[in-house]
Amino acid sequence: MTVQLRGRAEAVTIQWIPKYTFLERLGHWLHTATFVPLALTGMVLYFPFLRPLAQGEAGEFFRLVHRVAAVIFGLLPIVYYIFQPRRLLLHIREFLPRKEDIGWLKAAPAYYLLGKHEVMPPQGRFNAGEKLNGLVMMVTWAVFGLTGIPMWFGKGVIPPELFRWLVVFHDLAMIVAVCMFLVHLYLAVAHPLMWAGLVSMRFGVTSAEYAAEHHAKWYYGPKRAMEIWEEKKREAAHH
Amino acid sequence: MNGEKSRVNISRREFLGLSALGLGISLAGARPAVAASRAAAPDEVAILYDPVKCVGCKACQMACKRWNKLPNESTDPLGIYESPRGLSAITWNIIKLRRTDVGWHFFNYQCMHCTDAACVEVCPTGALHHDPMGFVALDRDLCNGCGYCTQFCPYGVPHLQVENALTGAAKSAKCTFCQDRLRAGIGGPSCAEVCPVGALQWGKRGELLEKARARVAELQAKGMNARIYGENEAGGLHRLSILLDEPEQYGLPSVPKTPGLARFWQRVVQPLGNVAFGAALAGILGVFLFVRRKIRMEEVR
Repeated sequence: MTVQLRGRAEAVTIQWIPKYTFLERLGHWLHTATFVPLALTGMVLYFPFLRPLAQGEAGEFFRLVHRVAAVIFGLLPIVYYIFQPRRLLLHIREFLPRKEDIGWLKAAPAYYLLGKHEVMPPQGRFNAGEKLNGLVMMVTWAVFGLTGIPMWFGKGVIPPELFRWLVVFHDLAMIVAVCMFLVHLYLAVAHPLMWAGLVSMRFGVTSAEYAAEHHAKWYYGPKRAMEIWEEKKREAAHH
Repeated sequence: MNGEKSRVNISRREFLGLSALGLGISLAGARPAVAASRAAAPDEVAILYDPVKCVGCKACQMACKRWNKLPNESTDPLGIYESPRGLSAITWNIIKLRRTDVGWHFFNYQCMHCTDAACVEVCPTGALHHDPMGFVALDRDLCNGCGYCTQFCPYGVPHLQVENALTGAAKSAKCTFCQDRLRAGIGGPSCAEVCPVGALQWGKRGELLEKARARVAELQAKGMNARIYGENEAGGLHRLSILLDEPEQYGLPSVPKTPGLARFWQRVVQPLGNVAFGAALAGILGVFLFVRRKIRMEEVR
């Protein structure tokens, strides 16, 4: 099988710039390393075809794994922000909904499906899709905790009527979080346009050219990014 | 671009394949259909409790403890007749006392062995299941201690025997109708076998219902407000009782049923979740196939 490569055959120099701190990356991967086992061990009770894994000692073992992972998963953001209080403010600023999110939504099909990155209005360090992923993870983290802790310690203490609702909401949060996780996994691992994402989360750096193209508001600053964006639009209108 | 259309678009066959994948995942998680509330058969086994005959001797409570090798439970001596206070993981059968204007009333509490059993419906392991003889059996080896049964039973019967609160090592515990005795053909449930006054009897459910009807007529003739509890409740209980008052006076629900939330959870939320998983995976695979042809990595900066 031959692969036809197109493009110029020149030496490429990539200028790397920092994107994520060491602790941000550590937090991300600890979140992953606890989220995945939590989802898998929880599904043992969710899917009837996994019933053999739920029975007896296997079921008790998976609950133990679920609880150990849950403690780390739950404490992780709290510990992180205690040590990095300024990152908390930064993250809140970065994840708040903004005007460019609507622009992202409009441009997303052409951007993600056709690879037309020139139609995407300038985005911050996290684009609107990454912000959505982050918000879903934050909200479901809270729901998992608010429902999971009373389910762990509250049997026989809280009214059964309340417990039943907790089970339902724990499941709902899982469904939303797992669907979001699947999309996130695909974009990070397999989508050609997002190639720099995995590099950044592994090594903490991103290509300057990539940042200018995909995260212009972060790379240039909001004002300069919009100027460049308007300029490009004017140019495109001329041609 | 027109000439390349077949190259860049998802073909019909692929689209059908993806749809089948999504549908497959949606259905793979489906729960085996639960038989629409069947009625309890007359040849199934049952227990009949007649509180008018009961003298409150607690022989049933003792026999239950002995046969099932359940340890003692200590109670605060507060001058009450009830000891222990209620059903627990190590007390599966208990006589409680009610004081009314007319006098003292005893009432025996144990698992009601529902036909539409909420515990069986929510049990994710199959540890709680319907025995072909009719009662709700418990296979403790299969139980993982999740405790759903303790939270969904309309009678609050199953209790968790917690070995370690932190790790969650636990087993569900409740009256099993002395399933080992019945399966081995030794005899009936020990509580009914030991009862010296015939307040607790066991036998074929149909025959016990006949006896209960005759007994209710007899008590009504004496001017008592007697009725049968368990003939149709929760699809028919396998522990029938004669009551002399509203069920609520005995702490029993008039209309016991599987909490609606259990059905909403398992028959609405979970199937919708399966559809979401199927749609997400099929959608991602479709986008993957589409993008692989449409976006060339060599052109990506």
